[in-house]
Amino acid sequence: MPRQFAYYPGCVAEFSSKELNATTKALAPLLDIELLPMPQATCCGAGDVAEAKPNLYLTLNVRILSEAEAMGVDILTICNVCTLNLRRANKMVKDDPRVLEAVNEELVKAGARPYQGTIEVTHLLWFLATEEGLSLLEARGPRGLNGLKVAPYYGCQLLRPSSVMGFEDPDRPQSLERLITALGGEVSDYEGKSRCCGFPIILAREEVALKESHVALSGARDAGAQVMVTPCPLCHLAMDAYQRKTEQLMGEEYAMPVLHLPQLIGLALGLPTKTMEFKRHLVPVDEVLSIVGA
Amino acid sequence: MPATTFRIFRYQPDSGETESYHQDFQLEHGEKTTLLDAILRIQNEQDGTVAVRYSCRSAICGSCACKANGKTVLACMTQVEHVKTDSGQEIVQVDPIGNFTPIKDLVVDMTPFWEKFKAVKPFLIPDGPAPEKERLVPKAAMEKIANESKCILCAACYSECNSLAADPEFVGPAAFAWGYRFAADERDGQRKNRAKLYSGEHGVWDCTRCMFCNERCPKGVDPRDAIEKLGSIAFQEKVTSDKGARHAKAFLISLRTGGKLNEILIAPYTDPLGAPFNAPLALRMAQKGKLPKSPLTHKVKDRDQVKKLIKNVKETI
Repeated sequence: MPRQFAYYPGCVAEFSSKELNATTKALAPLLDIELLPMPQATCCGAGDVAEAKPNLYLTLNVRILSEAEAMGVDILTICNVCTLNLRRANKMVKDDPRVLEAVNEELVKAGARPYQGTIEVTHLLWFLATEEGLSLLEARGPRGLNGLKVAPYYGCQLLRPSSVMGFEDPDRPQSLERLITALGGEVSDYEGKSRCCGFPIILAREEVALKESHVALSGARDAGAQVMVTPCPLCHLAMDAYQRKTEQLMGEEYAMPVLHLPQLIGLALGLPTKTMEFKRHLVPVDEVLSIVGA
Repeated sequence: MPATTFRIFRYQPDSGETESYHQDFQLEHGEKTTLLDAILRIQNEQDGTVAVRYSCRSAICGSCACKANGKTVLACMTQVEHVKTDSGQEIVQVDPIGNFTPIKDLVVDMTPFWEKFKAVKPFLIPDGPAPEKERLVPKAAMEKIANESKCILCAACYSECNSLAADPEFVGPAAFAWGYRFAADERDGQRKNRAKLYSGEHGVWDCTRCMFCNERCPKGVDPRDAIEKLGSIAFQEKVTSDKGARHAKAFLISLRTGGKLNEILIAPYTDPLGAPFNAPLALRMAQKGKLPKSPLTHKVKDRDQVKKLIKNVKETI
């Protein structure tokens, strides 16, 4: 019996970063996971709706949690920002029954299902970095990365605030390192791995954002990484799509291919490269593919 | 009794030392000795020139923020043994807080911090003439600003702020926590003006949401949450012309029209004037299939519920 999750890919993975969604879906059966669709689920608001209209943010996110509750399964995400927004809303209503009651009143008034507070939200990285997840990988004989030097890039919102996220020490995260090693890769460690990619302000404050992503890109390059891997499609856009702009602004070259986490796992497990849609990346990944023999 | 090597940042330009370096000191100390007590003992017993700023030793004055093995802490409320277990390292390296210029060893120049603090007008500005008696405030109204009122201005939140590292002019977390503390105070009469003041170029919309401020604040102020609430006040006061506010508006439009983010809309809506400059990247992204083909937002099931929520849910900040 596969492990079932209510699958919340988030907006970016469904549209501009479709390769992430496609790879996750292709990977799931190999890891004995069944991803159940959530047809009612809206955008989590990405922190922007929380900023503009905090009560609306909370209500919309609890509506998403409630859809999963009706399905009777926990939520699996593949985006840092979705994970934080859903977990934060979940914590707010679980911590205070009065808040839950007020939110449910609005949900019922709008014809939506009230939430009982029984759902957990986890990210694919967290699930796979547990003993259960690692044993699922082990069962697939996943040593296929062939010593590829991989820079783990966490970004911010899967680690902080730890009062909401809480999976691992935000100052010494090890989940990506554990996976990279289990997949036969070599970890390129560097200081910028949990610094911000700048994406939340990339459209409003581009220069500030690019200077932020420079810290991680230059750190990964200087650590000798052949590729960077990230659990977040927004970090991926900042690091991959905007990389040339950052190079132009900073007057430096990174030439750093960036993989979504499921793509790195897919490479190790031998998922067909076509399925993982590497052609959608702006920084070419050809060298990575040749190192792992894909 | 544990013994620890303290690797302390040294920099004494007034004594002719133009380069900084780290100096090791060995110290035997108690199980519960704080980092500040350890530094002061080193100063008293081994090297009187070690400079550190401190006052109350009780996590009230906010003077002794520094980095211990890379993590910003208040030295007086952090035990040496905790630093070691927390970082997994036997040596304790002590550095001045980040994003500031060191003046002498662990002491930094706080001038930019105080300038930014002053710039948010961190005091009550009530409307109208002063009342004859004191202004009474209901408990619930004060609870709204209770968290932000705990700020002790230690600048731990500035030390690892990623926006500040990229933009030294960013007003920053503590100053905005104070800004919110007064903008949301029901005795204050400057809510709209404050919303305008805080929305400028290096203002609330500069925050990149790295969450380091919430993580590092020793008093649980959660400055990022205060910045978020200032965004909400800006919306209520209709101060929404900043690109950051327009970015948030694009999310609201997307939710209203379908339920998921409309990625075709968000860039030109956020920055209509910047669109031509972004054209080369947009073109490259389009060539890679990174831009959705349809300009319409994806429609979720039962979106009438979403529309009703958008219409009904009232904001209470």
